[in-house]
Amino acid sequence: MHLQTEVLIIGGGATGAGIARDLALRGIPSLLVEKGDFTSGASGRNQGLLHSGARYAVNDPEAARECITENRILRRIAPHCIEASDGLFVSLPEDGPEYRANFIRACGAAGIDTLPLSPNEALSMEPKLNPLIIGAVQVPDGAIDPFTLVVENARDAESRGARFFLHTEVIALILDGVRIAGARVKDRITGEEFSISASWVINAAGAWVNQILGLAGLKIGIALSKGSMLITNTRLSERVINRCRPPASGDIIVPNDTVSILGTTSLREEDLEHYEVTPEEVSFLVDELSRMIPAVRGERFTRAYAGVRPLVQSAETCDDRTISRGFTLIDHESCDGLAGLVTITGGKLMTYRLMAERTADLICKKMGLHVPCLTHVQRLPGAGLSHALKDRLIRLRRHTPAARGEILCDCELVPREVVDAILREAKVRELQDILHRTRLAKGTCQGGFCVYRLLGVLNEMRKAEGLGGSNRILKAFLEERWKGIRPVLWGISLKEEELIESIYKGLFNLTPEEPGPPEGDES
Amino acid sequence: MTTQNDTRTPPRTFPDVCVRCATCMAACPVSRVTPHFPGPKQAGPGAQRFRSAAESSVDDWIELCTSCRLCDTVCPAGVPISELNLMAKAKYLDERGITFRDWLLVRGDLFGEMAARFSSYVNPLMKNPTVRWLLDKLLQIDRRRDLPCYEYPTFRQWFGARPAADNGNPKIAYFYGCFTNTNETDVGKAAVALLEAHGFSVDVPPQRCCGIPRLGVGDLRGAKEMGGRNLASLLPTVREGTDIVFSSTSCGLMLRHEYGPLLNLPGAEELARHLFDICEYLLHLREEGKTDVTFRPNPMKAAYFASCHLKSLNIGLPALELLRLVPGLDVRLVEAECCGLGGLYGFKKEKFAIAEEIGKDLAEAVARMAPEIVLSDCEGCRMQIRQLTKRTVLHPIQLLRDALL
Amino acid sequence: MRRYDLIVIGMGLAGLTAARTAVEMGAKILIVGRGMGSLTLFGNTIDLLGEITPGTDMEAGVMSWTATHPDHPYARTGWAGIAEALVAFREFFPPPYTFAPVGGGNSLVPTGAGTVRPTYLLPVTMTAGVGISSEDTLIVSFRGFKDFQGDTVSLHLRCRGVNLSLPRYGLEGVTALAFARLMDEEPFRESLGEAIRRQLAGERRIGLPAVLGLRNPAGVMATLEAVTGAKVFEIPMLPPSIPGARIFRRLREELIAKGATFLMGNPVIGATLKNGRCEGITVQNPPLKTVYSADCYVLATGRFLGGGLWADMERVSEPLFHIPVSQPATRGEWFRERFFQPEAHPIHRAGIVTDAALRPVDEGGKVVLENLWAAGSILAHHQAIEEKSREGIDIATGFLAAKRALAP
Repeated sequence: MHLQTEVLIIGGGATGAGIARDLALRGIPSLLVEKGDFTSGASGRNQGLLHSGARYAVNDPEAARECITENRILRRIAPHCIEASDGLFVSLPEDGPEYRANFIRACGAAGIDTLPLSPNEALSMEPKLNPLIIGAVQVPDGAIDPFTLVVENARDAESRGARFFLHTEVIALILDGVRIAGARVKDRITGEEFSISASWVINAAGAWVNQILGLAGLKIGIALSKGSMLITNTRLSERVINRCRPPASGDIIVPNDTVSILGTTSLREEDLEHYEVTPEEVSFLVDELSRMIPAVRGERFTRAYAGVRPLVQSAETCDDRTISRGFTLIDHESCDGLAGLVTITGGKLMTYRLMAERTADLICKKMGLHVPCLTHVQRLPGAGLSHALKDRLIRLRRHTPAARGEILCDCELVPREVVDAILREAKVRELQDILHRTRLAKGTCQGGFCVYRLLGVLNEMRKAEGLGGSNRILKAFLEERWKGIRPVLWGISLKEEELIESIYKGLFNLTPEEPGPPEGDES
Repeated sequence: MTTQNDTRTPPRTFPDVCVRCATCMAACPVSRVTPHFPGPKQAGPGAQRFRSAAESSVDDWIELCTSCRLCDTVCPAGVPISELNLMAKAKYLDERGITFRDWLLVRGDLFGEMAARFSSYVNPLMKNPTVRWLLDKLLQIDRRRDLPCYEYPTFRQWFGARPAADNGNPKIAYFYGCFTNTNETDVGKAAVALLEAHGFSVDVPPQRCCGIPRLGVGDLRGAKEMGGRNLASLLPTVREGTDIVFSSTSCGLMLRHEYGPLLNLPGAEELARHLFDICEYLLHLREEGKTDVTFRPNPMKAAYFASCHLKSLNIGLPALELLRLVPGLDVRLVEAECCGLGGLYGFKKEKFAIAEEIGKDLAEAVARMAPEIVLSDCEGCRMQIRQLTKRTVLHPIQLLRDALL
Repeated sequence: MRRYDLIVIGMGLAGLTAARTAVEMGAKILIVGRGMGSLTLFGNTIDLLGEITPGTDMEAGVMSWTATHPDHPYARTGWAGIAEALVAFREFFPPPYTFAPVGGGNSLVPTGAGTVRPTYLLPVTMTAGVGISSEDTLIVSFRGFKDFQGDTVSLHLRCRGVNLSLPRYGLEGVTALAFARLMDEEPFRESLGEAIRRQLAGERRIGLPAVLGLRNPAGVMATLEAVTGAKVFEIPMLPPSIPGARIFRRLREELIAKGATFLMGNPVIGATLKNGRCEGITVQNPPLKTVYSADCYVLATGRFLGGGLWADMERVSEPLFHIPVSQPATRGEWFRERFFQPEAHPIHRAGIVTDAALRPVDEGGKVVLENLWAAGSILAHHQAIEEKSREGIDIATGFLAAKRALAP
């Protein structure tokens, strides 16, 4: 098979999907390949914070200004991906009142609205805060759902002609003289290989940037930084809670739907494919974040996860390298004499749209087109829908038990019809494709009951064989789930674990080996 | 509109200890009979993760919970499920506002006194089909529900008319409860007789409705008010060294376990330490060797039903143990979990069918036992069992009183 | 303060067995516990030791096991103790709802995931599930009953499966308990049986989710077999477990009838210790704390789920008597890297170590309290999940603990 497009985008994180959308809105066709599902990289493994920029106000005013601008844009274009929860920067006695005063000034200079609060005011807004706080400042932080954000970008792009190939890995870049003319790719599920020719290839592979550049004999200096996070069983605060001090690790608690996400750390990582949350990181996060919310210490954690961010180290000097605050856009034609290839890397989730805009601007310039960017004004497709926690609870209303439908996930109140819709609309190649798109298995028992039910649904629809057979999928799911819960197994979570193991290994007798046929089966 | 109320925020940590094991789902009598109630796993710790004090309540199904508390008794993690449900119910009903019917029903002690005074008119009216039809249509009090008769004089009046026996016997106080006072005075009389037979001089301190009907409709403020008044009149009794016994397990549960932990009333623990179920108290006396009361043989076949609130009192089954001391009495425990009435719950039109369906299992269990008499400590259970089985139903202390030598 | 001969702490199968054993010996007992134990979670059949291959004699299998696992609870009870305890258990379930092995030793029964698991004593409602073959079995599941996914079962067992609608319930879901209750009604199960019969295409066995009634499971099975003309068996599924609830209710009924004080729902929060003996336990009954005392005590509080063991971020403890817990040295060693392992995660072998008479001992082997015995899954050096030994350990050690505690 051979496909053709104008722009080939490598990487299905926020940047890649954002670029596809930006180009689509400018009428430029693109095709995006991603070796996993959307947000397999750092886009899907961060704290979900919609920065107000306040965190950078003191040390990096440019970055702060950039953040608040994007913050406002995202609230306008993607309100349904965001919980506009606001945030607090709280000062503990050791943080000192001077930093706070400095902080408020710096926010003002960067155009970030602040509201200073007394300790009593802050405690009445957020009763679980450490009663020893000496003050707080309210800022327009929020919580963002990266997966929905990226999927929405992709949906919008797709409706305007962009094409997306998930579970598709780039195995070679196609060279035509001194120009990159496309890529050779492989479907990781079927094994099928095919080629894509494109006038421009954008390397938006995030932390994998060098894996792609290596295919063209190039390399840039990046370091990998691992950040770990803990997820609580219940939501600890209504707002984002930050520490009012020079940015460090263990500073932030982000509310997310029914839970809170505690983070983060920043450790040098060598292995892009194999990394885990260490017990030391867990202890550190518990110790550090319990300074802001003491209840963290006895809190029940349902999961831990880590993400790896690429940090660009600017070693070479090349004046065509556009380095904006934390992100790097490289035109390899100017820098390396290799036309047709552009790399965009670094940055943060917050600034994806800006990164996409700059990248699309560059592509347009190279194409000789003068089409303005529209992504900052055009809203994302689902922007009208709300999804308050309460809405899920409404599902239990008694007058319509039939309309309630079958609830598959008791913890997160996810009904079967959501899964049916995904199976209809999205191309589901593996179980995680379903799990990424719902809150199923994201609650208290982390899929203990609902994944059994979900697999039953797949079996009923005879869709499980295509995914490997349901008990194989179930075991793979349990193994994957294990990675997230193992770091936090003590206290109540350990009880939960005993329950789940007793059901799946005990009652259902799932073992590492494949289940055999029943007794008496002659076949 | 959420109003300012003194609803105590449930301890946040408790939903956290839920491991989703679904043991509670094996105990809930409501979810066993209707899909309209999602069951304790969902209703309590499950829904709690979605509730926020700042958002208005959408839990219109929460009032289907009867507050039987069986879920609490079986939860291996110690989630206070019924308390979570109660808080959610209080918030929902507070925002929706109390119906006139509920306002009326929870004041049973007040109009009860009036109804008792005019019982000779009220009782036939309560059986009149037209009146029942009107009550059904106007107040949603289901016409299929047998209503209890009122009695006159009330227990309190009967007790007040007795000559005071100043015999130097140790004193004991009795909390009779609204229903005993106006609808089942013989239970109170039996309590007095038994206590006197055990060598006590009975005192009946001033008392009001314990408040549990208000709790049932989520009126925490009202329940607290009743509690405050009762504590004010009962604490002096306790402080002068007199213990208090109750014969209604629902009143007992309210006084002993909800005044303190749930309603945070000062003095509640002090009261609780001196408050006992009458059978618990008499059994205890017996074990301490402080009584030599014996019972007359009674070769009846009896079935004893343990009410939900008795199970929550967590004192075991003292009435059953006392009944076993009656020579010749063949008394067995009814194998059923809940009668279904839920106090005022089963009177309400929208819940009558659920209450009846829950009670069906109990009725069938009793039918299989074919007893001559059914016994239960709870007035609600007695009403329900009477209606469902048409048998004679008494409080154990009535049979014990009759068996006194 | 009430005085008893024996107080059993814990209301799972181990505690209930200890309590029953004690009342049979004529003792005056109190049994106190927070919940129903794991009977309502995974207690469907009586596992003894799933490691023993079907066809092998159980006594020989257990003896050979204990020879290589000298610290295992079965090494404390010995085969004789196990056999006696199981006889008592089986006697407790007279016909028609009996527990029996199929074929003498272990047998393989189908599960709700379409796998098979080894077990020893089966209730009569599950025996027809042993030795099924693809052609002769029909798996029936029900729309709206999501804890039994029939297609998962039938696809893995390679049998035919049908998905029926339940009268009275639509998609909104029926719970296991509601379903079991409906099954206890004769007209319901007759019409259900009829609906199933119409689906048969020559199969001689029908597998259903394990909801064949709470009160009269043998009667339910009999009706369904009569109406369908086929053998019927029930298949264990996600909690709550109705077969386990049957065992619980039967034991509770018996204990109350025999005069035991049965306190369910409030935790034991403390113990009064004096001169190497337990003098009393404190039960929390908010706002009160009530003290009960007895001559001897059996601790059968389970593992982490039951609250018998508690793990903080550093170590595992036994929260009531503070008995030392045998455990891996650090939290990092509790769990292995992968979820599925040939051996259990080391934490699952942690627990209380006892002497031969089931009295807890400390690290030096010294008995911790003169009048305290331990039973059930709280014991160390077994891995119930992998070995498939949960109920056997509960019954055998519960039985033995009571016998030893009340020995003159």
